[in-house]
Amino acid sequence: MPLLEVKDLKTYFSTGDGVVKAVDGVSFSVDKGETLGIVGESGSGKSVTCLTIMGLNARRNTMSMGQALFNGEDLLTASQARLREIRGNDIAMIFQDPMTSLNPVHTVGTQLIEAVTLHRDVPKKEARARALELLKQVGIPRAERRIDDYPHQFSGGMRQRVMIAMALINNPELLIADEPTTALDVTTQAQILALIEKLQADYNSAVIMITHDLGVIAEIADDVVVMYAAEVAEKGPVERIFRSPHHPYTWGLMGSLPRLDTDVDRLAQIQGQPPSLLRPPAGCRFHPRCPYVMDVCRKVDPELAPVGDDRRHLQACHLDEETKEREAARLLGAFSTEASAAP
Amino acid sequence: MIRYIIRRLIWAVALFLTVTLIGFVLFYLIPADPAKFACGRACTPDMVKKVAHYLGTDRPVYVQYGKFLGRIMPVSFHGGFHLKSPNLGRSFVNRQSVDYTIGQAAPETASLVLGGLVIWMLIALPIGILSALRPRSLLDRVSMTGVLVGISTHPVWLGLMASWLIGYKLHITPIAGYANFFHPLFAQPGGPIQWAYHLILPWITFAILFAAVYVRMIRANVMETMNEDYVRTARAKGAPEARVMRVHILRNALLPVVTMLGMDVGLALGGAIFTEQVYSINGLGYQTIQALNNYDSPTVLGILVFVCTSVIVMNLLVDLVYAWIDPRIRLS
Amino acid sequence: MTTAQTEPAAGLDLRGDELLVVEDLKKHFPVTRGIIFQKQVAAVQAVDGVSFALREGETLGVVGESGCGKSTMARCILKLLEPTSGRILYRGRDLTHLSRAEMRPYRREMMMIFQDPYASLNARKRVGFIVAEALEVHKMGTPAEVKRRVQELLEVVGLNPEHYNRFPHEFSGGQRQRIGIARALAVNPKLIVCDEPVSALDVSVQAQILNLLKDLQRDFNLTYVFIAHDLNVVRYISDRVLVMYLGQIVESAARTDLYEDPKHPYTGALLSAVPVPDPDVEARRKRIVLEGDVPSPINPPSACRFHTRCPRFVEGHCDVEPPELVPRAGTPPDHAVRCHYPLERWPLTEQEMRRATPAGPAAA
Repeated sequence: MPLLEVKDLKTYFSTGDGVVKAVDGVSFSVDKGETLGIVGESGSGKSVTCLTIMGLNARRNTMSMGQALFNGEDLLTASQARLREIRGNDIAMIFQDPMTSLNPVHTVGTQLIEAVTLHRDVPKKEARARALELLKQVGIPRAERRIDDYPHQFSGGMRQRVMIAMALINNPELLIADEPTTALDVTTQAQILALIEKLQADYNSAVIMITHDLGVIAEIADDVVVMYAAEVAEKGPVERIFRSPHHPYTWGLMGSLPRLDTDVDRLAQIQGQPPSLLRPPAGCRFHPRCPYVMDVCRKVDPELAPVGDDRRHLQACHLDEETKEREAARLLGAFSTEASAAP
Repeated sequence: MIRYIIRRLIWAVALFLTVTLIGFVLFYLIPADPAKFACGRACTPDMVKKVAHYLGTDRPVYVQYGKFLGRIMPVSFHGGFHLKSPNLGRSFVNRQSVDYTIGQAAPETASLVLGGLVIWMLIALPIGILSALRPRSLLDRVSMTGVLVGISTHPVWLGLMASWLIGYKLHITPIAGYANFFHPLFAQPGGPIQWAYHLILPWITFAILFAAVYVRMIRANVMETMNEDYVRTARAKGAPEARVMRVHILRNALLPVVTMLGMDVGLALGGAIFTEQVYSINGLGYQTIQALNNYDSPTVLGILVFVCTSVIVMNLLVDLVYAWIDPRIRLS
Repeated sequence: MTTAQTEPAAGLDLRGDELLVVEDLKKHFPVTRGIIFQKQVAAVQAVDGVSFALREGETLGVVGESGCGKSTMARCILKLLEPTSGRILYRGRDLTHLSRAEMRPYRREMMMIFQDPYASLNARKRVGFIVAEALEVHKMGTPAEVKRRVQELLEVVGLNPEHYNRFPHEFSGGQRQRIGIARALAVNPKLIVCDEPVSALDVSVQAQILNLLKDLQRDFNLTYVFIAHDLNVVRYISDRVLVMYLGQIVESAARTDLYEDPKHPYTGALLSAVPVPDPDVEARRKRIVLEGDVPSPINPPSACRFHTRCPRFVEGHCDVEPPELVPRAGTPPDHAVRCHYPLERWPLTEQEMRRATPAGPAAA
């Protein structure tokens, strides 16, 4: 049984302007110890999906439907008390901006200890010892002194390490990381990703990594979900997605990336802007921007269907198999003829 | 931190001197002769001149200011360097020591203000926080309307209405007057119960305006803090809402309220003029108005010194408390 | 090596027709302490000796992490900040000490595009006003001509000219960035400094803006100084690249040279830290992970500023003798590096990097 199984998840927010369908029918699963990457741009619904799983959306004006089965238990119908037991204990989440994610008026130690005492009935001394242990594991130098420092006395990279320590302190089975490195420098990003990978192995946690950076996905994900406009455009094992992408949005994303390892003459670009979630386009949500748009695309929203026989690789597009294979090959061919040796 | 305190103290002195100098000069510029006023209508110019000399108002302004400063300094150079108690001079009108006047009036104002403070915070905190938790609910809309009414209603009108309705018509509280806490004057009510009884209406009248302003401010601060990322982090750790509110939201949201409180109290100690007038409380505000009408410069300046000092002290205290509570300031 | 200038003209192969020459630019921000009278006790050395030359029609990419001084340098070039020392020569004319009034005619030729498309446009002004403002300041045309020009510009950047009267909040992030570009183009500048213009944009929109910038460069013969922290983007758009660390240039090279044959260990670390969207490449890659954080620019490390994090650090040399920014034997003359032990080849693993060349100033 997968650790987390999300089935047809929907989250709608009622606002003054109407109903915003932030997540509209998303399904995926995560196995124990695995890393799932959710990739998408702003407005794709990737963050809201995970906030919904954790029950962290504002309760007013929010409707959630579908199922999020964690070890068989549906989180969407669980009581608030049960969710609080799970949060920070079985499922932990870290967020994008380390500068604002820690309370500025409490020491780092206090906040770490809080994470422990919320879920374990242990004396403060023991909680503090555990906090110290985690700080060392995440690579904070002179942890014994720094545990009593305040967040503003740490750099961005160090703060993110503290967040990771706080998330892993209770040995969660699942860690959800919402763009944890987007606000960090590239060398710090490398450190943090390496740290997450190492700790994941040590603790045997599963990880959901939310990002807009396909490079990060290629680096650490085992499986990938590509989201567009609150739906899943394509999902599958990472090699399949990169070697044989089967959705025009995925092609557009990959083609529009400037490359580190090769000179590109002109970037492929996706026309237009990401759509409004108040009034999404009829039919396939990508159709206004799709270079391969057909009549059916304007009317019918494609369902997720397997690519050939591979039940693990699914995509939602009306194009026929042949065209997809051809376009995918063309895209990747463009990369390999230009690419020189790997850095 | 020490450096910070020293710097603030130096600024405080500079501010004090500036304020008193301006006050002094303004008085000097008023085209009315205090000596003439003090002497009375029946005085001849000769007698006025004598009075002016007696009061010291015929000296040049810088001499008068110098004497004024000399009086309020705790040290003196006459006959060698020695300590003395600062004194604020004597009223032009009745030669009463300004120290005494302030000594009588300040406790009345302080009773009014401090009691009012407690009431306004008791109103503002729960309403502000609850409104923030349930924006656009019925409670929120009612309280925002209440805020509007509270800010717009003039304390004099409110005081008169309250005193007429509750005091006169319904006989629930006294109409006006102040009861001394410790030593009742002859034939006057006194003692703690009477003190509080007489102050109920004044407290409420005084508090309404501040409560309205603070409800708005607390609501805004709490709403803003609720959206902070670290509150989301606390929830993600599995903290119950009560804890999130207590440990994470309120501690941060109420920091600015501390600053405002200090400033408002410092200012209000200078005299809640409207309320004092309506309820005939002989506080500092009341005394100031009397003194101004009589061109009684020493009394006015004396009260000015008192208010200036209290505002500066409160501000300094607030800054220190803030620096102590907020580690970002404490440790920079 | 002249002794009069602290920076030898390394890579500054001046032919005399350069559009922009920056010589030994420094910008220090004073740090003051004191009770009443503020005394300067230290300085944030945001930019500490930067020199480069830029030819017309070129794009110079400037890459570095936070605190390296690239944004400060950009503002100094345009005299939005007054340099502490050094010279800025635009078309041969020394701009460094010009007064505001004297600078005004030059400002017409040097414009800037900013990072944050939400903050860099005045939310209270209509788009037409925003784009036209520079035209009006420099008195270029009658109101009717100005309006026509603005509509023309909106079209050039891919926006609907009918949206002349809309407010910024009615546009998306990418569209707002286009407005910023139109604004910069209005007065026909020669040089545009782009300060992280695509960092705040989604990937799909980023490609549109980058393509637009390239097209505009070709059509209007523009010269760009392109500042970014994203090495992929810099590779795409630049002809030459400067790598900055703690206020200094550590490497300066033509684009392909820098990315395929970096010489400075920091450049190597940067390149290996960037994730590449290809799982096989990622699996095969030789990763170099630097220890620790970037040091503070108030108190930078002695001599070579990178020595505290450098895998090649040689005690007694790297922390004592500051390396110069010079070309190395065996590399093209325009490839300069500030290092005593530059990399012999690329790629290298961290292990391989640690083995520095034999003692002494390096030969490749």
